[in-house]
Amino acid sequence: MSLPGLELTQPSEERSQAPALPSQVNLTPGSEWRFEVAFGHIIKVKLLNGTAELFGTELAESQTYTFTGTKAAIFTWHGCALEVTAVETASTTSDGVTPTVGHGVGGCQSEYTAEETPMVEYANVHFALETMREEAQSIGKDGPRVLLLGSENTGKTSLAKILTAYATKIGRQPLVVNLDPTEGMLGVPGTLTATAFRTILDVEDGWGSSPMSGPSPVPVKLPLVYSYPMQSPLDGEGAVYRPVVSRLALSVTGRMAEDEDARETGIIVDTPGILGTDRPGTMELINHIVTEFSITTILVLGSERLYSTVARQYDNKPTSSATAAVFDEHISVVKLSKSGGCVDRDDAFRKATRESQIRSYFFGNPIPSSSPSSAITLSPHAQQLDFASLPVYNYTVSSVDDEDEDEYDPSQLGTGDSFLPGGGGMDDYAPQETKQDPDRAAPLPGVVGSFSEPADNANSNATANGSTVPLKKVLPPAPSALANTLLAITHAPTTASPAEVRDASIMGFLYVADVDADKGKIRVLAPVGGRMPPRAIIWAKRWPGELVGLVG
Amino acid sequence: MSGLVSDEIAEDYKSSLEDLTTNDGIQIRTLTVIAKENTEHAMAISRVLENHIRSTPPLQKLPALYVADSIVKNVGSPYTLFLGRNMYQTFMNVYTLVDGNTRRKLDEMLNTWKQPAPGSLDTRPVFPPDITRNIESALIKARTAALQQQQARAQPDILGRRANGTPTGWTNSSTPQNMSRPSQNQYPNGHSNSAPPQTHRQDIDLSYLNRDVDALIASAKIDFANSPFNPISQQRLKALVDLQAILQKQQLAPDQLKLVRDQVSALAATRPPSVAPNAATNGPVVSAPPQIPTPPAQPVSQPLHQLLNHNTLAELIKATASRQQSTPPPQILTAPPQMPQYSHQSGPPQPAPENPLIAALRARGLLPSGPASSSLTPSSSTPVSGRSNLPFILPHGMQPTPPAPSQTAIPSNGTSGVPMSTASMKIPRFGLIVSLYDSRPNRCGTCGRRFLTTDEGKEMKARHLDWHFKTNQRMTESSRRAQNRSWYVDERDWIKSREAGDENGAADPQATAEGTTGVDGNTKQEPPKPWIRAPNDATLRNTPCPICQEKFEPTWSEDVQDWIWQDATKVGSRVYHASCYSEVTKGPAPTRQTRTSTPDSVLGKRKAEGTESPSQKTRIKTEI
Repeated sequence: MSLPGLELTQPSEERSQAPALPSQVNLTPGSEWRFEVAFGHIIKVKLLNGTAELFGTELAESQTYTFTGTKAAIFTWHGCALEVTAVETASTTSDGVTPTVGHGVGGCQSEYTAEETPMVEYANVHFALETMREEAQSIGKDGPRVLLLGSENTGKTSLAKILTAYATKIGRQPLVVNLDPTEGMLGVPGTLTATAFRTILDVEDGWGSSPMSGPSPVPVKLPLVYSYPMQSPLDGEGAVYRPVVSRLALSVTGRMAEDEDARETGIIVDTPGILGTDRPGTMELINHIVTEFSITTILVLGSERLYSTVARQYDNKPTSSATAAVFDEHISVVKLSKSGGCVDRDDAFRKATRESQIRSYFFGNPIPSSSPSSAITLSPHAQQLDFASLPVYNYTVSSVDDEDEDEYDPSQLGTGDSFLPGGGGMDDYAPQETKQDPDRAAPLPGVVGSFSEPADNANSNATANGSTVPLKKVLPPAPSALANTLLAITHAPTTASPAEVRDASIMGFLYVADVDADKGKIRVLAPVGGRMPPRAIIWAKRWPGELVGLVG
Repeated sequence: MSGLVSDEIAEDYKSSLEDLTTNDGIQIRTLTVIAKENTEHAMAISRVLENHIRSTPPLQKLPALYVADSIVKNVGSPYTLFLGRNMYQTFMNVYTLVDGNTRRKLDEMLNTWKQPAPGSLDTRPVFPPDITRNIESALIKARTAALQQQQARAQPDILGRRANGTPTGWTNSSTPQNMSRPSQNQYPNGHSNSAPPQTHRQDIDLSYLNRDVDALIASAKIDFANSPFNPISQQRLKALVDLQAILQKQQLAPDQLKLVRDQVSALAATRPPSVAPNAATNGPVVSAPPQIPTPPAQPVSQPLHQLLNHNTLAELIKATASRQQSTPPPQILTAPPQMPQYSHQSGPPQPAPENPLIAALRARGLLPSGPASSSLTPSSSTPVSGRSNLPFILPHGMQPTPPAPSQTAIPSNGTSGVPMSTASMKIPRFGLIVSLYDSRPNRCGTCGRRFLTTDEGKEMKARHLDWHFKTNQRMTESSRRAQNRSWYVDERDWIKSREAGDENGAADPQATAEGTTGVDGNTKQEPPKPWIRAPNDATLRNTPCPICQEKFEPTWSEDVQDWIWQDATKVGSRVYHASCYSEVTKGPAPTRQTRTSTPDSVLGKRKAEGTESPSQKTRIKTEI
């Protein structure tokens, strides 16, 4: 696979300097080693003795783990010794960013050992959940559904990983739901996903990897992916977020009904940090999630204010589960400490994380680790597509944060009018009226009947209020703003209504390398080669937005 | 012709032969051409070839014999003369040392030797009839003898097959049922199991059965033709034809079918004495079965008939059940009274007191668990015990729940009673950490996963390690090929999907990928054209279709973005041409068109020849 200017595989640089000497980190029981590695810098960590875990996933002894572009912590219950080595890298990464080599052990930007961790609390959460699971198993009800709330950088995702890792470790199979569009799980940002975890999480690479054509040293995970190409769930007053969450919840409920292991273990829901703030509309969204997933346990991280608000509203209230009355199921709200290790991830770091997620979706494991076994290089396929033949949709909702950013592309002006009766320019106001479609607003959890007829449902939906779905077809000529953005291929047929497209799960993503407006062609990078499946496509214009330099 | 030149040629030929390790059509063709161009050294070449066939490892004997086959068919005289001289010894030598599948191929090849060379004007058979007849009669005798041996030994062959088949069944196959078999108590070492020489399916494989019956009928016919007045061979033939009729009507219940299959395979495939796994798993039961053709043959008439008549199957079961006592059974069905020379039948007591067949039957619920269950010997070498078979009769719905009660009990001891409340979260419970670490001390060195120390935990770990091993293998293999991200599944598939844990033996991303990429909305409407991904493994890649003996040609599929084999289907561990397979499984043709065993005959004559049967026209194969 040769794409001009493609620099994904960084040439194995000569090691001009002598290899850095490994340094040893000794941890006492109950302490953790927190480290930050910049993008472009690589460290290797080896467990010499004792036990150690990274966000709940145990490290194997004497195996080398490589990390780059991460802020993480290795915790030990029993004490351990770690060996940390810096790996010499090229002076610049492909983005032209000079990696910041810190002065810490192994060249970490920052690294230190912390004695005080909230791990006791987090482990207790696991044990309490396990108690609930056993109880559920014994009386035949569903396992606990856990919602994690907290503002940015309070360790929600880390806690989700810990709970997932502990559950899989003892042979459970949790369904992990990521409702945070700012960060992808097993995929790119701008998605909401659900995944059943049975196998071990990838220590080096967050959650692991979605299926590839070849083998993977860590078992791959199979996510169900929905597109939500916006940064904040509050965009458009949640008019898009809510139905997508409902749809996701419906699928998860369907899986729970059929998959005994998942049903016993329950659900772990990770949320975006914005829901932990006091912005208007957040409580409505939280309520929506609590209802849709029949949440039994709400874990609030860090914020006292959020905890009291949520506790007032939900603590000891019956769950929304259909069987709540039968089993006397009540929601419990629990406050947890935020880890002192939580650090602010600045915008640059978050952006780099997003880019690395997109990169690894197309090109595989970003870590050029020394062991060839763990590095997987994927070869996406570049191809020219006729833009006119692609049913590309774009969301036309206003953003909460940046009103002025959502401008119309000149090339689009006047072309979309024919599609929506309200007229192109008026679409910005449409979300105001968009309420949940009564048909599908709150499908009874645990009832999967409606799932088997999604088409009917969506059709009636579409006819009922198709015009209120703020999804508009992008008509030719191809807007130049397509360049360097992602296109999400849905499973919906090309003739689907906007509501169906919105509710459809995602097959995969295309990266638009460039746009030839004159010829009406776009050059895209597709994960899988061959003919483009005839499916409706959602333009992830607003989020994750432009990513320059994926393909030169 | 000087002896020196002959020696040189022979030496060259020998080294070329040594390069032939697989059934490689091109190499065999080349070797044939060399032989053709050096007919003046035919004697030396024939000698070298014979020696090579004799000395080469069993797995490479078949290709070597194919060289001889190809030479004789394509060059003919004088090779027929030289090679024919010792063909009996050569053939029998090979036959005794190879496994059942190879034997089947040998049988097929032998059949072609009785006919004229394909495309040749000469109407005489490939080898003079006396050569083939000698071999055949020896084979029949050996089979009959072995049959009696085996029935006398109460089917340890079935046992061997099953024991062999069990681990490979789920290591090689990616079907979910196979993966989710929770307990296999016999799993010596994951790594050694990854490539066993012969694999058998658990399931009743009708095609095997039909083919075996076909082969038996064919040989019985010959037998009958040789001695038309022998009532024994007459009855034998009749019994087989009856059986075939029954099979075609498909009247048999799966259990009965299985029994028939076992009997037939016992008849057809005699056990190679050299195959170590069988001997090992059978433990003390195996008392070195004499494989050499024993003189007194064809006596099995009445018992066989009885055995093969499906009306008496129930009686058979009953009869076998009645043999549960550990006393040597003198009333064995298949031990005809007129065969006293098989001294061991009535002589020394059987080393294994419990009949494994009965154990297997009882485990399947076919037999009541009588008092004999206590007589199940603790002998650990009996691989099929009731316990390992239990999963098969579990209702399907139970299988996805891997934690047996014993397993869930362990974490539950520790964690019960932790209330979910803010105050409760602050209380340190270091004692409970044990459930995450110390209660599972059995660690995987590669990824840090922990397993219980129970038998079940050990088994899971063994399978887990096997997964690592195979993944590493596949990683090395696939590093040469471009890989790509697969499409995500849609809602329905996701809801239906179940996470295959690596401890279940086959977290096979390829299998998932096949499900997701192979089928999309468009292809669903068309009649499914069977195809599989071309395997990475070199030996698999070079293994021809066991039915037509032709190799698979990989073609690039744009849809799948991978090399695939068109018109191929995987049955058990073997890959067949889907058209061949359906042709065979459709039902045995009354007169089976035997095919040449030589892969890719030099002049390509075989291709044109096979068209008299209309069903063969429907074969779609991509030939490059």
